[in-house]
Amino acid sequence: MRASWKKILTALLGLMAAWPGFDSRVRAEMPPDMVVVPTGNYRPLFRGEKDPKEIPVPSFALDARPVTNADFLAFVTANPRWQRSQVKRLFADEAYLQQWTSDRDFGPPENAHRPVVFVSWFAAKAYATWKGRRLPTTTEWELAASAGFSSSDGANEPAFLQAVARWYSSPTPAELPPVAASRANFYGVYDLHGLIWEWTSDFNSSFVTGDARGDTGLDRQFFCGAGSLGASDRANYPAFMRFGFRSSLNASYTLHNLGFRCAKDL
Amino acid sequence: MNIHTRLALLTGTMWLFGPCAFAEDAKPPCCRELSASTPFTDRSIYQLESDWTSDIGREIRLGVFRGHLQVVAMFFTTCESSCPIIVDDMKHMEKALPEKLRGNVDFLLVSFDSERDTPEVLHAYREKMHLSTEHWTLLRGAPDEVRELAAILGVNFQKDARGQFMHSNLITVLNTEGEVVHQQAGIRSELQPIIAALEHATQGKP
Repeated sequence: MRASWKKILTALLGLMAAWPGFDSRVRAEMPPDMVVVPTGNYRPLFRGEKDPKEIPVPSFALDARPVTNADFLAFVTANPRWQRSQVKRLFADEAYLQQWTSDRDFGPPENAHRPVVFVSWFAAKAYATWKGRRLPTTTEWELAASAGFSSSDGANEPAFLQAVARWYSSPTPAELPPVAASRANFYGVYDLHGLIWEWTSDFNSSFVTGDARGDTGLDRQFFCGAGSLGASDRANYPAFMRFGFRSSLNASYTLHNLGFRCAKDL
Repeated sequence: MNIHTRLALLTGTMWLFGPCAFAEDAKPPCCRELSASTPFTDRSIYQLESDWTSDIGREIRLGVFRGHLQVVAMFFTTCESSCPIIVDDMKHMEKALPEKLRGNVDFLLVSFDSERDTPEVLHAYREKMHLSTEHWTLLRGAPDEVRELAAILGVNFQKDARGQFMHSNLITVLNTEGEVVHQQAGIRSELQPIIAALEHATQGKP
């Protein structure tokens, strides 16, 4: 008797899974402003001799756009301790939200769609928690950012590489463009390159000091285990820049071109 | 279970029976009560609301260290290269403390290795390195909390495939309010700047 129930259940489950709408119904639980980055392999830029060449990254959800000033206003309105005049210095430096005109005013209406910048890692983390999300790990961020316009590996797309190189070699404009104004990548994610730099949950796992062109730029005296690291792809300048940038940050720093987006487990 | 683990568990268990049987003034740093009479200052790392476990199994918040100067480093017990040297550097500092600073300076070691550095393992490390219970605290925390504390101290770290941690070598001095007043990178560096920072921090408000 029991065995037959089991059989029926299994058959039912099988039928459900085979039903064309099943998968999209599960996916429908995902917020509309996020996209799925499927399971993939990330090739770390820096790794030890014994570390694997590729790290498997489980599928996750990622905000399609960076968090905007309008989004952030909703957060500070609900959480006054993250307003400009109330934030504790430990959690954000003096420049926190300095582009805003007051605690709850981000200035001209066109700022609504611009990415929020001058936010610290703590503020970004608090926002993500408030949203029921989290910051992406560096590995997740890099995996999503390695996709080109038409495939999961942008390294094979000259048009993509050109667009990326152009951004990394130009200064940040005085007025940031709005989010999602440029072309989305293969997964439907906007602005991973070309708009701002972004916080990751483990930004302080990068080890680049000073000049990364020659050796690994690491010093045994300052970093335990430093001698064992090597770069896997010395030609990937944008990635070098990102790792160098991240390793120079401190959790309370706020900068004119540094914002964030959230991620979520699936 | 090998003999080392057994020993570690044994000493750990023995210790757990009477963790706080000390005279009031000689209480180990972790066993002090959280004094929340006045709010922490804007730059105090004691504002962190993370929970930690000491090597004597006691759960604490960092605020219990308020009122004493702290010399802080992050480490892990299975570290093969610089951590033992950092701990040794800190022991030298303790020995070099001028008379008037003794008793007011604590040493805090926080592990990167949430997985392997259990209270028992930390306690065995304390025994091995001969760290006094009066002034030394060894802590472990959940990965997110370790990441956050490291971020606040400016310590970078990354776990490799063998479970070893690559990390910055950084010693931090906190004043009695838990504000960072001095940091020193590297190993086997001079003691004088740290002693000077501690003396300065006792002399008045930062």
